[in-house]
Amino acid sequence: MNKELEHSFVAQLEENQNIVHKICRLYTNDSDAHNDLFQEITIQLWRAYPKFRGDSKFSTWMYRVALNTAITLYRKSKRSIKTQDFEGVSFKISSEPYDDTAEQQLKLMYSAVKDLNDIDKALVFLYLEDKNYREISDTLGITEVNARVKMNRIKEKLRTILNP
Amino acid sequence: MDELELLKKQWQSREQELPKLSFGDIYKMLLKKSSSIVKWIFYISIAEIVFWTLLALLVPESSTKFSDDIGLHNILVAINVVNYLVFGFFIFLFYRNYRKISTTDSVKELMGNILRTRKTVKYFVIYNVTTSVLLIVGINIYYYLNQDIVFRFMTEDYGIANISQERFMKMFFSIQILFGIVMIGFVLLFYRLVYGILLRRLHKNYKELEKIEF
Repeated sequence: MNKELEHSFVAQLEENQNIVHKICRLYTNDSDAHNDLFQEITIQLWRAYPKFRGDSKFSTWMYRVALNTAITLYRKSKRSIKTQDFEGVSFKISSEPYDDTAEQQLKLMYSAVKDLNDIDKALVFLYLEDKNYREISDTLGITEVNARVKMNRIKEKLRTILNP
Repeated sequence: MDELELLKKQWQSREQELPKLSFGDIYKMLLKKSSSIVKWIFYISIAEIVFWTLLALLVPESSTKFSDDIGLHNILVAINVVNYLVFGFFIFLFYRNYRKISTTDSVKELMGNILRTRKTVKYFVIYNVTTSVLLIVGINIYYYLNQDIVFRFMTEDYGIANISQERFMKMFFSIQILFGIVMIGFVLLFYRLVYGILLRRLHKNYKELEKIEF
């Protein structure tokens, strides 16, 4: 029975791995850290999986757990604790995701987003993922009004960073 | 906010550039958590042997001269050799545990490896604490049996005068006992902190694996 659970979990995660990769890319700066965070999220998702009842979509639930992990791990890594690693799983990832675009503004925008604090970043991430405010508020556990207010403040913040 | 909208468009069109992990890659991640802990155990055991070696080099010459004078030289060298051999053996075991655990790919096997690692660490700690205690107690028994020589060399080497042998020995052993207790306390604290934390984490992983398996 548990083998089945394990397999259905891994299959679903494999299908939705883009979400996790995007979060990793936003919250880390190199491929090692990316891999570490991906693994940490995988483990947290697996830990929480028995509690996932299927009353929301797998991906919706994933956004919540993965972002929570990224936010808490991000905080931890600021105190530079690093005990995770994994070998045998290697993949390449370009460190500058938008290197080839001609648009300097976009690059600046992206680095401004990366410089936001971890909570604001989560909000922007969901916004970029084309989630509406209802979904954003659900995922982050805040009210819809709060999500709107916060998002407006972040946009304001980004604007002043880009156009000082 | 035009730039953010632009970024949003870019964001969604860039999905194919993301890394792709296979089913097997992800599955392995569920098992790999323990390998890094075991790796740390291996590293720390090496750091430890380096630390003790450096500490031995820092011991003042007068102190080694004293143990030479009183006839402990050969036995201390022998103890050191044996100690390094045993230490080396444990490092080898830690390394083997680490290799094994990082090539494991079934939950059952991994659980077995975690148990084995915990056992190795336990024996390692028992060995270290026991040898520390035995060494300190043994040397002091030797001192006690050879009080005359200890007193003679102590007064000669360090120029302690104007004190009766009885009083000197009382002071000497008080300091020795105090020093011994502090030393053993330090060793216990060290192992409790360093290996205790790592072992607890391993145990947690083990419990989680148990949930997967049964």
